[in-house]
Amino acid sequence: MTSRNAVGELVSQPYKYGFVTEIETEKIAKGLNEDVIRLISSKKQEPEFLLNFRLRAFRKWLQMKEPNWAELGYPSIDYQDIVYYAAPKQNQKKSSLDEVDPKLLETFDKLGIPLGEQKRLANVAVDAVFDSVSIATTYKEKLAEDGVVFCSISEAVSEYPELIEKYLGTVVPPGDNFFAALNSAVFSDGSFVYIPKGVECPMELSSYFRINSGDTGQFERTLIIAEEYSSVSYLEGCTAPMFDTNTLHAAVVELVALDEASIKYSTVQNWYSGDEKGVGGIYNFVTKRGLCKGINSKISWSQVETGSAITWKYPSCILQGEGSVGEFYSVALTNHFQKADTGTKMVHVAPNTRSTIVSKGISAGKSSNSYRGLVQMGPKASGARNYSQCDSMLIGDLAAANTYPYIRSQQPAASIEHEASTCRISEDQLFYLQSRGIGFEEAVSMMVSGFCREVFNQLPMEFAAEADKLLSLKLEGSVG
Amino acid sequence: MRLNSKNWLTSLPQPSGTLSEVQLRGREFLFSNDLPPKNNESWRLADYEKLNRFLDLPVSNDSFLDSESRNLWPEVASGAFRVVLGPAGECNSEVSLPVGFRRLTNPEIEQMLGKTLDSCSCKDSWSVSLNHALTSELLAFSVSGRNLPPMELISHAKTNELCPTRVLIVLEENAELELLQVVLGSDFSAHSHLVEIHIGQEANLTHGLIGIGNNNSGFMANLAIEQELRSNYLFTSFIQGMAFGRVEPRLVQRDGQANTTIRGLQIAKGSEQLATHSSICFKGPNGTLDQLQKAIANDSSHSIFNGTIDVPRVAQGTNAEQLSRNLLLSSRARIDAKPELKIVADDVRCAHGATVSQLQQEEVFYLRSRGITSNQAAKLLLDGYCQEILEKLPSNAKNWIISDECKLII
Amino acid sequence: MISKDSEIILEIKNLQARVEDQSILQGVNLTIRSGEIHALMGRNGSGKSTLAKILAGHPSYTVTGGTVLYCGKDLLDLDPEERSRIGLFLGFQYPIEIPGVNNLEFLRVATNARRQGLNKEELDVFEFEEVVREKLKIVQMDSSFLDRSVNEGFSGGEKKRNEILQMALLEPTVSILDETDSGLDIDALRIVSSGVNQLSNPKTATLLITHYQRLLNEIKPDFVHVMSAGRIIKTGDKELALDLEKTGYDWIDKDAQPKGNDL
Repeated sequence: MTSRNAVGELVSQPYKYGFVTEIETEKIAKGLNEDVIRLISSKKQEPEFLLNFRLRAFRKWLQMKEPNWAELGYPSIDYQDIVYYAAPKQNQKKSSLDEVDPKLLETFDKLGIPLGEQKRLANVAVDAVFDSVSIATTYKEKLAEDGVVFCSISEAVSEYPELIEKYLGTVVPPGDNFFAALNSAVFSDGSFVYIPKGVECPMELSSYFRINSGDTGQFERTLIIAEEYSSVSYLEGCTAPMFDTNTLHAAVVELVALDEASIKYSTVQNWYSGDEKGVGGIYNFVTKRGLCKGINSKISWSQVETGSAITWKYPSCILQGEGSVGEFYSVALTNHFQKADTGTKMVHVAPNTRSTIVSKGISAGKSSNSYRGLVQMGPKASGARNYSQCDSMLIGDLAAANTYPYIRSQQPAASIEHEASTCRISEDQLFYLQSRGIGFEEAVSMMVSGFCREVFNQLPMEFAAEADKLLSLKLEGSVG
Repeated sequence: MRLNSKNWLTSLPQPSGTLSEVQLRGREFLFSNDLPPKNNESWRLADYEKLNRFLDLPVSNDSFLDSESRNLWPEVASGAFRVVLGPAGECNSEVSLPVGFRRLTNPEIEQMLGKTLDSCSCKDSWSVSLNHALTSELLAFSVSGRNLPPMELISHAKTNELCPTRVLIVLEENAELELLQVVLGSDFSAHSHLVEIHIGQEANLTHGLIGIGNNNSGFMANLAIEQELRSNYLFTSFIQGMAFGRVEPRLVQRDGQANTTIRGLQIAKGSEQLATHSSICFKGPNGTLDQLQKAIANDSSHSIFNGTIDVPRVAQGTNAEQLSRNLLLSSRARIDAKPELKIVADDVRCAHGATVSQLQQEEVFYLRSRGITSNQAAKLLLDGYCQEILEKLPSNAKNWIISDECKLII
Repeated sequence: MISKDSEIILEIKNLQARVEDQSILQGVNLTIRSGEIHALMGRNGSGKSTLAKILAGHPSYTVTGGTVLYCGKDLLDLDPEERSRIGLFLGFQYPIEIPGVNNLEFLRVATNARRQGLNKEELDVFEFEEVVREKLKIVQMDSSFLDRSVNEGFSGGEKKRNEILQMALLEPTVSILDETDSGLDIDALRIVSSGVNQLSNPKTATLLITHYQRLLNEIKPDFVHVMSAGRIIKTGDKELALDLEKTGYDWIDKDAQPKGNDL
């Protein structure tokens, strides 16, 4: 077999997170209208301002059209055929882990995210979200010692309503786009992080999102606020069971960094991607945006995107504070019939802002992998600089790799530099490695991980190895 | 939008000549489509006010260009020959062509016309339809053999007219031609130009397009190029002084295995909007593309570059490179660039790059450290920046570019 | 050739400078008189090239203290082009490629700028061609170099020879040659050094920045300075360069060890 076919086959690997947890779930009826929104809000005992926020968003959403510009070509979604709230039946959020349904703990154990005292990851605090609700957050007390707040957003709504009211929807306004509006109307749960002034968060924070129900949409909402001179590193992971229907995931993430603050946000996205014929999988339509509000603030996005049937996601930075820095490091691997359309927007508003974009796309099977990005230098962004590099690797001659970088400048004393290239795993390189005694599959995975090295280096240490492994698992059998 | 008014369409001269059928088709298209839709990616940034102003001009029919304007033209380069297109020129059917050039017969035209537009899938593009609606005359010829005299194709729009022109060129197998097109605009004039070129096997075409306007000149040019096996095509464009300028080169390598080189320079000043929308598609293996697009934006002008490279599965072994280099010289000016790569083939080498900046500080410093003032250094660097493109134009182009033209922008 | 009475051409006093937030020069002192050849040595990152660029007026560096007098005039006040016009020349370590700008045209404009500084008549295109052809011989360059773009596609050695050609045309009073020897093979090194030797005279001075003794075998320095951490820490004659060749720079670290009274 030629090595090209071989490489192609190494990319297909069964999804190992595809199990369903048998647990009694409380679901509301399918469908979406103002009453449903009032119901969600009342179930969560939300204050008035939040209900109004939801209703405003819903009314906007009704007037918006579903976008089709990304040429993703998915069958239209029936928004009345989705359950907007599902929660494992528990009386209330438990104050201690001992009271959490052991089935849920077992689920997260199986996913490699043990929550129990003995087994949990050292130095990583985890917020575990199951369908629409957060079921547990570890190390909360320890974080509280430094004044760091890490909890579910529902909890934050009742505990810190003034912060929610002040920041929610300020980075991603409810009417920003179709899916952000939908999320703003119906969001169920998600994580909230607040780092007080001058605090360097003592451990990695991590949220783990699990979709369990087949007909339930997942609409989580994450808000991270880093006060002046503070810093935090946050990681999210995601998996879902295998269903032959498509599940909608429309999350919104908002980050705010004040003067001299820095936020590092990493994602390892491994939602179920559908089977090798393209049946089932998650529609991952996500809006992520960070506001570098303060001077010299920094927001860095790193992502490893391997799952979902369709991904539509552009983690962005608004560089509003003078001297602020935005970064985007991305690896996107697509196989079979997956479609990923991902990239970033770097909007340079203030002088001397800097941004770096490194995107690595790997397309195998009949998948399509696109980089879509915008770098904009506003009229006041003198001295601003951007450097972007987008590389694609193609495995097999049926996969597509597209690059659509938009660049726009209105400031002569700003510079933008974009480079893109495409390559394959060359037979010469393979031969060279093999002639040194390295097995075929290992050689391929070495080259793929070498291709992605720059991005993996950006991930928190605990997860860099994980990401590398995920990629080689995903590649296994697709080369052979 | 203004165009939709039946008035505009009915005010056009009655369809006539070889192209009357095409004219009707174009007018129907415009009637049902109105102005190009803003949500169409390639029109998103277009200045509709300027476009409208350009469409307000009466379409020229058989008026003649005054000799004063003609006297501004440089002499025909020695050894070359000149054909004047449009109302300023000879009636196309009367053009006499030297040995090696042959006017296409009506049946041939019937067979070939629109074929290349089809292959380049731009038959239904808005600007092509506009040209269809307007143009009543066609210059169509084939070229065979080598060592032919270089050709100059001139069109010059007069003040207060919209000048439509269309050309169809067939380069026979193994033919070789140097073709320079010059489009001159007067104040309050506009051009709609459409050229289809079929380049046969092993044929070579060096093609230059110079568009120089004067204040309120409008210019829309559509090029549809089809290359056959082992052909070579070098296209160089230089656009300056157009209030609204839009060049759309579309090229297809029909079976791959051909070489394409594209060089473009647009210099925008005042409140001009200049745009290049290029699209290259490889429909066979082992083709090459080397594309360099440069732009300078000064004052409150706007420069746009959109470039697509399409490498489908059949195009294994393609080697394509595209670079868009832009200089932004004023804080009121704006530059938009969008290079696009679409690839479905794994054994290819494709790269693109885009930069926007002002002059490189290190280069300015090097020159200043040799005693050259910043102003002089900027002039030299801008000149050099332009020269890298201009030197690729066919040799007889020099006479058309006023020597200090590039320096005028500073 | 050296005498105490020679005129001071360049006088650097306690020069301090930074780039962005990093301090690079921490108080450089150096006096250069006419007729002298100085060699400046030191490790990578010791500040040698920074000193050269600051003397030429590179805008990326900010002078934070100290003075530089050129023939008694404040040099730091001048634009880069003015420095060239009054006779200061920097031979770049990495001469930049400038596509599209014709080398001959560039050389002519630069030469005329210098002639203006010397109150000489400008040369027209034809006169200049004659001058440049003469000077080409000094660096043994082919006239085809003139038709190309500035440094574009030149090999390392060709770029350095183009620098010396510029030096020959501009007839500077003080030449700072930043690692002009790096990347040269032995033949190119001879050509470049003989060029420099031909161009020096009792009225001019040269500052050579180099890592290697081999350049100093060709161009004999009167003084050798060693730079470390943004300062000149040792000055000697050409024997010092030979010592450095043998012992390397490790002694710098030893000397930098805290002395007993620091404890």
